Amino acid sequence: MTTGNPSYTNPKPCKHLADYKLNHGLSGYKSLQKHLKTAPHGKTSVGKPSTKTPRCISCDGFQGRLYFCLICSSVSCLDHNLLHTQSEVGHDVAVDIERAELYCCVCCDQVYDPDFDKAVMSKHIMGITGDKNGDESIGKRLVKRRRLGSGVVEELVDSKISKQLISMRDRRAKSCYPLGLRGLNNLGNTCFMNSVLQALLHAPPFRNYFLSGGHNHETCRKRSVDQLCLSCDIDVVFSAAFSGDRAPYSPAQFLYSWWQHSANLASYEQKDAHEFFISVLDGIHEKEVKSRNQNRDNGDCQCIAHGVFSGLLRSDVTCMTCGFTSTTFDPCVDISLDLDTSNFPPKNTANKSIKPDANSSMSTLLGCLDLFTRQEKLGSDSKLYCQNCQERQDSAKQMSIKRLPLVLCLHIKRFEHSPVTKMSRKIDRYLQFPLSLDMTPYLSSSVVRNRFGNRIFAFESGESDISAEFEIFAAVTHAGTLESGHYVNFLRLRNQWYKCDDAWINEVDEGMVRASQCYMMFYVQKSLYQKANEDWSHLPISPRRNMFGQ
Amino acid sequence: MSGFNEDNMGSHAQLSSQFFGDLLDSIIVDVASECHRIARLGLDRNLEEEEEELRLSAQARVRVADPSNSGEANSKYVVDIFGQTHPPVANEIFDCMNCGRSIMAGRFAPHLEKCMGKGRKARLKVTRSSTAVQNRYSQGSPVSTYSPYSNSTSTSRLSNGTSSGAGEEYSNGTFQEP
Repeated sequence: MTTGNPSYTNPKPCKHLADYKLNHGLSGYKSLQKHLKTAPHGKTSVGKPSTKTPRCISCDGFQGRLYFCLICSSVSCLDHNLLHTQSEVGHDVAVDIERAELYCCVCCDQVYDPDFDKAVMSKHIMGITGDKNGDESIGKRLVKRRRLGSGVVEELVDSKISKQLISMRDRRAKSCYPLGLRGLNNLGNTCFMNSVLQALLHAPPFRNYFLSGGHNHETCRKRSVDQLCLSCDIDVVFSAAFSGDRAPYSPAQFLYSWWQHSANLASYEQKDAHEFFISVLDGIHEKEVKSRNQNRDNGDCQCIAHGVFSGLLRSDVTCMTCGFTSTTFDPCVDISLDLDTSNFPPKNTANKSIKPDANSSMSTLLGCLDLFTRQEKLGSDSKLYCQNCQERQDSAKQMSIKRLPLVLCLHIKRFEHSPVTKMSRKIDRYLQFPLSLDMTPYLSSSVVRNRFGNRIFAFESGESDISAEFEIFAAVTHAGTLESGHYVNFLRLRNQWYKCDDAWINEVDEGMVRASQCYMMFYVQKSLYQKANEDWSHLPISPRRNMFGQ
Repeated sequence: MSGFNEDNMGSHAQLSSQFFGDLLDSIIVDVASECHRIARLGLDRNLEEEEEELRLSAQARVRVADPSNSGEANSKYVVDIFGQTHPPVANEIFDCMNCGRSIMAGRFAPHLEKCMGKGRKARLKVTRSSTAVQNRYSQGSPVSTYSPYSNSTSTSRLSNGTSSGAGEEYSNGTFQEP
């Protein structure tokens, strides 16, 4: 399988399909196209050629699966379609009327042909957009596709350069432990801040940027009039964490700066780790935008916060009457997920050997992602205006990921607020999560394709080449209640897990992390994870050592 | 269709259960057809890896729940991996950057809150973090139960984007006030 755009295994045709194609080419498909019926929710079937109910030519039955011969258009039921091939030589390939799927009567199996799927999809396109050629791709692209990170950001997040510039080796300190591992003092209920800081300190591209001098707090202060710069303060925290000193560090200056920044936001009392995370990225971005006098939207932003964490979400709203879909794209720095309950089993049940009861009601991260990308029917009280029908219609909405970020932050909505009782509560439900995560099924190409029955067709061509495989490197967990709880971060460095509980850093085994109750999970692209795990401790001490001052 | 005692049913009941059976069969075949296509086109996910992850997580939970295992999870720490110990309240001392006083680390935040005091009035400005609004924990602080957005009424189910018009957006963007 190639990276990027998920590709199909090109299905090898059976002998009979191959012969059919040889003798008849696409003519059968083209004439079938007239009869294809497309439904707004993406399914296709073969419409009745006349008003009569189709019946099997052998038994006159009309129930069960019926097949429409591609050559002579006669209809046979499942039991008798073999008879048809015996009486008419070469009439081996038929179409399942209800599902518009090719069927080889001799092999007694469903078969697949990209040309057939193309004919089906063209019919969909023609139906939806009125495009007679059926060439336009499904869904409109409202923004030009832009590649992430031209030049600067990419270079600085490349760990090769950081390795050359930096030495982390401090023979006095416990140098057998990973670099940058250092406890953070709790300054008074600041574990929400500490847990996120630990994740940022060890997010490979983010870390590489700061350690390579991507934001030099000395030159920055001189440049800007406004003394407040969150990136500078983060830079200071990085220096402290990677200095080699293992005594816990107090991020007091950072707290002070952040509170000054967030005084502009709705509230400075935020004690929620996710809120903190968003506001820190916001602070980094704002300063960047100001200093460069730019006003670009987040999708193209070159600031380190967006360069590392920003992805693009696609939202499709489909009219349930005509199938017309309106598509929008929005950048995001994280994805907030609702917990899936046992009411929502994962889709694509190609092979689900579900263990009885104990596990089938367990929430899983993949289940949450399935829920996130599931097509959701909007209620009849929220009909949306359809451009095609020119009136308000019942609609369905579906989210998918157009472009994945380098670091994917997944946030679990464990907070439930009832508008009726005005009470809030925490959802303590356990969530299973994988250490290796493949995001392919949640990409726009996969989701849109699935909506149309997984036909072989170029749905979203030219998606970014970023791979969809991720590895977890940090997990922020919350224990306790809404009113009084405690955040702890688990870091995964060189395949060893460390528990970062404010000032206390301890080794833990993987099982403990798996069993914990996660609130935010940080995944990084697998290639970056592997690079980051390469052993740095063999580097010689460089003269740049003083850069991180002690 | 098994298990129907036809003698006891009127012809209408028979007919309707037959229709039901046909519909059910059709739906089952739909699923089978989809799965067949997915399998043939190589679109199925890495189910082995997924199941392995599920298995490991289940095992881990069992182990952690077992009381005979060393209570790593909540035991008091003796030393950290660097061989250090730390007091419950961090006792490093430094100067407050706002007022200049010497403050103990573990008491810095509450001090700073008072110290920065009235100068830090919160303005109710809309932020980008509105999806997180519905997902906030307070944390131990006595003055923490509040909700700045009084109309955070949409259920967490829909906070990925309210249905307020065609082509509306995933709201990590602005929070629409009615």
